[in-house]
Amino acid sequence: MIFRIDRRLLQNVDWTLLAAAGAIVTLSILSLWSLAWGGGSGIALRQLWWVGVGLGALVVVASLDYRTLVRAAPVLYVAGLGLLVAVFTLGRTVSGARRWLHVGPVTVQPSELFKLIFVLALAWALTSRWARPLSRATLGWTAGLAAVPFLLVVRQPDLGTAVVLLPVLAAVLLGVGLRLKVLAGFALGAVAAMPLGWLLLRAYQRERLLVYLDPFRDPLGTAYNVIQAKIAIGSGQLLGKGVSGATQSRLAFLPERHTDFIFAVFAEMWGFVGCLVLILAYGLLVLRGFEIAAGAREPRGRLVALGVTALFATQTLINLGMVTGLLPVVGIPLPFMSYGGSSMVVSLMALGLLLSVRMRQFQ
Amino acid sequence: MRAAPGARREAWSRRVLAMTLVVAAGFVCVLGQLWYLQVLEGARFREMSERNRIRVRPVAAPRGILYDRHGLALVDNRPAFTVSLIPREMEDRDSVLARLSILLKVPLAELQEMLARVPADSLRPVRVRRDLSLEDVARVEEWKLELPGVVVEVEPQRVYPTSTFAAHLLGYVREVTEEQTRQGRYRRGDMIGQVGLERLLDEHLRGRDGGERIEVDALGRPVQVMQREEPRPGAQVVTTLDRRIQEAAEAALAGRAGSVVVMDPRSGDILAMTSSPAFSLDRFAGNLDREAWLALVKDPTHPLLNRALQSQYAPGSVFKIVVAAAGLQEGSLTPMDRTYCNGEFRLGAWTFKDWHEGGHGHMDLRSAIVQSCNVFFYQAGLKVGAEAIARYARAFGLGAPSGIELGGEKPGLVPSPALKRRQGRPWHGGDTVNMSIGQGQLLVTPLQVARMMAAVANGGILWKPRLIQRVERADGTLAYSEASRMTGQVDLSPVVWAFLRDALRRVVSEGTGHAARLPGIEVAGKTGTAQSVAHSDSARGQDHAWFASFAPAADPQVVVVVLVERGGKGGQVAAPIARAIYRAIFLEKVAMAFAGTES
Repeated sequence: MIFRIDRRLLQNVDWTLLAAAGAIVTLSILSLWSLAWGGGSGIALRQLWWVGVGLGALVVVASLDYRTLVRAAPVLYVAGLGLLVAVFTLGRTVSGARRWLHVGPVTVQPSELFKLIFVLALAWALTSRWARPLSRATLGWTAGLAAVPFLLVVRQPDLGTAVVLLPVLAAVLLGVGLRLKVLAGFALGAVAAMPLGWLLLRAYQRERLLVYLDPFRDPLGTAYNVIQAKIAIGSGQLLGKGVSGATQSRLAFLPERHTDFIFAVFAEMWGFVGCLVLILAYGLLVLRGFEIAAGAREPRGRLVALGVTALFATQTLINLGMVTGLLPVVGIPLPFMSYGGSSMVVSLMALGLLLSVRMRQFQ
Repeated sequence: MRAAPGARREAWSRRVLAMTLVVAAGFVCVLGQLWYLQVLEGARFREMSERNRIRVRPVAAPRGILYDRHGLALVDNRPAFTVSLIPREMEDRDSVLARLSILLKVPLAELQEMLARVPADSLRPVRVRRDLSLEDVARVEEWKLELPGVVVEVEPQRVYPTSTFAAHLLGYVREVTEEQTRQGRYRRGDMIGQVGLERLLDEHLRGRDGGERIEVDALGRPVQVMQREEPRPGAQVVTTLDRRIQEAAEAALAGRAGSVVVMDPRSGDILAMTSSPAFSLDRFAGNLDREAWLALVKDPTHPLLNRALQSQYAPGSVFKIVVAAAGLQEGSLTPMDRTYCNGEFRLGAWTFKDWHEGGHGHMDLRSAIVQSCNVFFYQAGLKVGAEAIARYARAFGLGAPSGIELGGEKPGLVPSPALKRRQGRPWHGGDTVNMSIGQGQLLVTPLQVARMMAAVANGGILWKPRLIQRVERADGTLAYSEASRMTGQVDLSPVVWAFLRDALRRVVSEGTGHAARLPGIEVAGKTGTAQSVAHSDSARGQDHAWFASFAPAADPQVVVVVLVERGGKGGQVAAPIARAIYRAIFLEKVAMAFAGTES
């Protein structure tokens, strides 16, 4: 039986990790609730419902042996690619990008799920018997594994998801012992190839990309979000304005305030002190993730734990970076915090995967 | 791998630790930025949020200007007022729309429909009315405080030298259609070139809109401009056109339906291209209503059609040039061939008449071209053969698009026995006879004829018609440039070229084209009178009049092709128009140069 829960396993549940994630999820629900304060709380309730679904998924994933999942990775990878392709043909277009698939009453975002599958596929590709020791062929093959979904996601266009896949790939490759110099070589090669891709783009596609990189080219669009987010965060000052005082967020000056820019809402309400708490929770989460990766005893567990942690760290840092104006705006949700079913469920599943590795550390 | 598991594990832990440190550094950066925003700059942002009244306004980029080859502007911009709605800033939508509807006399339903198409929190202005009168602007400004979310923008708008000047060539600029916005290249409300050069070069001409972020007080009045992104003006286009020649061609053709193409045979440059009747460019720029548009589309004279390349006509006797070239080069005709023209020609049961009652008498190839004798060419055509004629016609660029980038070019049609057989119909001797005087199924466009005449003038080079010399960005750098391009060559021996040019020279000096004679400039050309329908009567003005020519005959610098729809005889109707254009090109230029030196 796969679902037989060993008492030994239960003893090894990582409560610190769970507590950190639980704290963030709680703050997410509270933030969504306070956004709707005084007028309906539908969004917070829906998010709560998704947390419920996600917890179920977490328990299922954690009780599965992650090695089974790694073995199933090729099938999952192909299925995941299939979903990404399906988005092209069946997908729903929202503000110029196709990212959503309709499944009955809900819309799912396959690219979110694919992030997790990607980690499993990397672990599978780099730990199979023929993949060791690390050879050029293995590297090329792994790069191909990353390139296909990367191109699909770029075409959607969902630059955010594509940007997340690359650091995860880099972290896992460094983990298996790839020299930093070689990786830098790859990166340089990619940068060198960019002008070629540039030539293939049409003028308006170039413009769209340039706006991504320099939002102030489009003063009515992205640049507006950035400045409003900065005002929201800054006006929170040290202690925040509380729920009722958070005019930036509640009076809807801030776009995307439920989803990608939710951190700005939180920052306005709870100030620097609140942000410090939230960031410490994220720091704790990521730190425990790395600890689990470091402590894992066999290669698959190591890579899975490292990949999942890199995924959390990348998404968190890029989202915080863009909301605070350090990075250009790309559409990446804040894990456990942003409103959105796909993101929440997948983040909790990823957490389940980490727990699974940790629980089987001493088997 | 079994060798030193301890060392391996240690290396792994070291690498994970390194990554942990990198991530930790990232978190520290974020915290640093938060400290900066919330603690160091917090007070400033708090103040901004308290009177958060930031408005974003677009600043439209002026569209690039089109110039002729000498640097004269063909179009220009002038500022015009546009009333726009900004959905996000409209607090009480219904009352604002109702008031605006009354002020501007626009149906309320129309305004509501425009707003319904965009998201309610959109910041992008919805352009409601363009090119407002000053009174309208004053009325809106007067009620400004009651109209939150309504802004008056200054947008550059096109002005033209005259309202129909080079209308088909330049094309008009108009708001994008629903269909075009769906393709994703344009935003709703963008002004884009819809036909002609404006459309072809739209990407270059459009430039990039800028914007400014302004702070307003509680009443919506601007307090200060916080940031301004300057619009980038569109690129400037230097065309191959000559504004003076274009004007002369339009004046010469005025009042008639037809087309004039003026080309430089040395480069393929289009110096002028007109199509008449033309439409009024001005009417498209503002608010052209549905009825006016339908009236233009349904107009029986088809003013929207660019006759120079979108209409096909039988070439009539102009085609005799091709028959003569084919016969001479293939050896089936010689300049010494003679025939007696008695006014008709019998082939089997059919009789083909000459246009000249009673016939031209004794004819050789040269005089048959000069007098445009049909009977000579009926026989000549049968000698040369339909396949050879068709082959040379295609070599002269007929039956295929010329390659000009303006949309909608028609290819024309060169019939041949092989083609007709493929359609399942037999080719008769009568088909060859008809073809040899440019009738039958044969169809050409005025632009194709101009290209053909250029080849005759320059000794066989077929040019891709060139309209654009270069596109220069606002900062002076080159965005695009186009050199003359040869797309084909007609291989005839120099003797044949010389014969043809001499014959064409005589057409004007002593033949059917004498109406194009101009003292001081030797014009060479060929007249044509093409039946528009079977058995039409040229006396009743049912024939298309052609005159295809170049000058000076000894050193050709311009090709002028004139077509007048249902004008009558080519020599009587089209040739004088060409003459007027040559006069403008050669003689008035001289006069102007003299006037210039005197003053």
